[in-house]
Amino acid sequence: MVEVFWFSEQPYGHVQEEDLAPYESGRMHFPNTNFDPEKAHVLYNNYHNQYALADEVGFDGIMSNEHHSAYWCMKPSVNVDAAVIAKVTKRAKIAMLGNVIAVNDPVKMAEEIAMLDCISGGRIISGFVRGTAVETLHAGISPTENRDRFEEAHDLIVKCWTDPGPFRWEGRYFPHRMVNPWVRPMQKPHPSVWFPGTGSPESVIWAAKHQYPYMNLGSLLDLTKQLKGIYFETAQEVGFEPGPEHFGYLMRCLVADTDEKAQEIGRTFLWTEAHRNRGPVEFNDPPGYQSREALRIKMSRPLIGTGTMGKRMSYEDLQDAHNIVVGSPETVIEKLRYVKKDLDPGYILIYGNEGNMAHEDVMRSIELLGTKVIPALKDD
Amino acid sequence: MTMTTGGALSQVSVGDAQVEMFSGGSGPPLLFLHGAGGNSGWQGYHEELSKSYTVYVPSQAGFNGTERPDWLYTINDLAHFNLELVQALGLDQYILMGSSMGGWVAAEMAAMGAPGMKSLVLVDAAGIKPEQGEIAEIFMVSSDTRLKQRFYDPTQVPNYDQVTREMTPDEQVIDHGNREMASRLCWKPYLHNPSLPHYLRKVSIPTLIVWGRQDAIIPLECGTMYEKSISNSNLKVIDNCGHSPAVERPQEFLDAVNDFLSN
Repeated sequence: MVEVFWFSEQPYGHVQEEDLAPYESGRMHFPNTNFDPEKAHVLYNNYHNQYALADEVGFDGIMSNEHHSAYWCMKPSVNVDAAVIAKVTKRAKIAMLGNVIAVNDPVKMAEEIAMLDCISGGRIISGFVRGTAVETLHAGISPTENRDRFEEAHDLIVKCWTDPGPFRWEGRYFPHRMVNPWVRPMQKPHPSVWFPGTGSPESVIWAAKHQYPYMNLGSLLDLTKQLKGIYFETAQEVGFEPGPEHFGYLMRCLVADTDEKAQEIGRTFLWTEAHRNRGPVEFNDPPGYQSREALRIKMSRPLIGTGTMGKRMSYEDLQDAHNIVVGSPETVIEKLRYVKKDLDPGYILIYGNEGNMAHEDVMRSIELLGTKVIPALKDD
Repeated sequence: MTMTTGGALSQVSVGDAQVEMFSGGSGPPLLFLHGAGGNSGWQGYHEELSKSYTVYVPSQAGFNGTERPDWLYTINDLAHFNLELVQALGLDQYILMGSSMGGWVAAEMAAMGAPGMKSLVLVDAAGIKPEQGEIAEIFMVSSDTRLKQRFYDPTQVPNYDQVTREMTPDEQVIDHGNREMASRLCWKPYLHNPSLPHYLRKVSIPTLIVWGRQDAIIPLECGTMYEKSISNSNLKVIDNCGHSPAVERPQEFLDAVNDFLSN
């Protein structure tokens, strides 16, 4: 049975096109003097109230993430957000997609995630991500190191969770002579690990080789199906039988009482779309950050959420492609049933708000999703 | 990226690696180390130098047609690798010349007390952190910005059209690989080694430091710091010139080098 997760990128919605236009990029060059902490205080609390409501009305889980130098994601720490989710919700799973482990100390990551698992009563799903290249640049780390650091950090975190301490770790990037984190995870052998990706087949293959569920973050359905195919082929090569529980799909979705109202609100899903990842290729794909093959596939894919490559799609085209789903509960149920049938995902991740969507509209969307849409999907 | 004809292309074995090498001329050996942009091949100034010297222009490990050995991550590693290359070539009483990142590598090699190194030429060399200014960002900027940083006055660059022409797909792959390797070597500490000025106290061979006065990538201040750090050195500043004197003011560059080497 499909599980449905709520997700908010926690945008700083006060930014507008004209604020961003003068700068060479929408991320590293866009000055943080545009950030007002007083406004952020209000926004953070709205987003936390949305989490609480999603838990109440029946979402199976809440997904979170982190980005840096990003006006569209006010979360520089997924672990901090997960701590909030753990306290404002009672039963929802908490899917962190995820920690940028290549640029953080893995022992501290292992401790923090274990702590979150204990606090939440074993509700943590621990996603690991390579991050966009900007996350690595922001951390002051050479993009050429990301892949190797990611692999080493992953192995060390899992060892922290599963092997008794103290032990020694002689890695290239994270050498520790005494590893003995006191806090260990509640779930045994450790919290589920999910691996998200957009267009990189390497990510899919990595996830499948580790038998970790792969979450596709909003690629178009055709590409997503290709990536899912790669996952299933790799799984069979390494000797396990994957099912829907190994695959999830993130999509932008908003429900209102009428189709007309939803259409109007949903237009905000394209908020500052032209700027959010705009910048020189040296920011988005610096040499060494990804393999040549990954780059080739990325270049051939229609543009979603990036401003530097390919041809942009209109609001209407994105709806036709089921990449943005907006409407009354009946409309949304029908469209999500189509996606469900097409992709057979074990998890549908709802990217449920954007930009300066009114808090009340988002709360109503959560309520309608929880009371009408999710039960209908589960009845199928 | 420009590649002029001349200079024989060969492969030199260094350990398990094969080093791509352009070479030509006759006379005392002169080993030239390219910068972070990679090996542009046999250039006009190589041809000029080859009239008096046997000039060697290797693609350094990880650049162009030379694979990166899997143990080689740092400038220090590269300096050791290059000293092994010197041995493989059998060079003695050789002149070591390096430009930009290659100048940094050359300075590290000299500080290692390399036997057989007769003199050193550093051209707008990376390696030392300026005290007043900054080394410009070269990785997190667009290709347009990189080009603007390089020259003081593009109109005086001979064959500027050739220098800036669109790369072929094969050249783009090489350029991507070169920038990847440069990122690996130079990211942190950024284009310098904090210990290098202290190492350089040991260097006593005659050293010429050549700098474009208007270098917008590595400020002239670094040239003066090199001059202070190396006892037997002289700084020659070329006016109205940016980061690449050999390309932007080739005659002044060659005059400075020939003056130094002939004395």
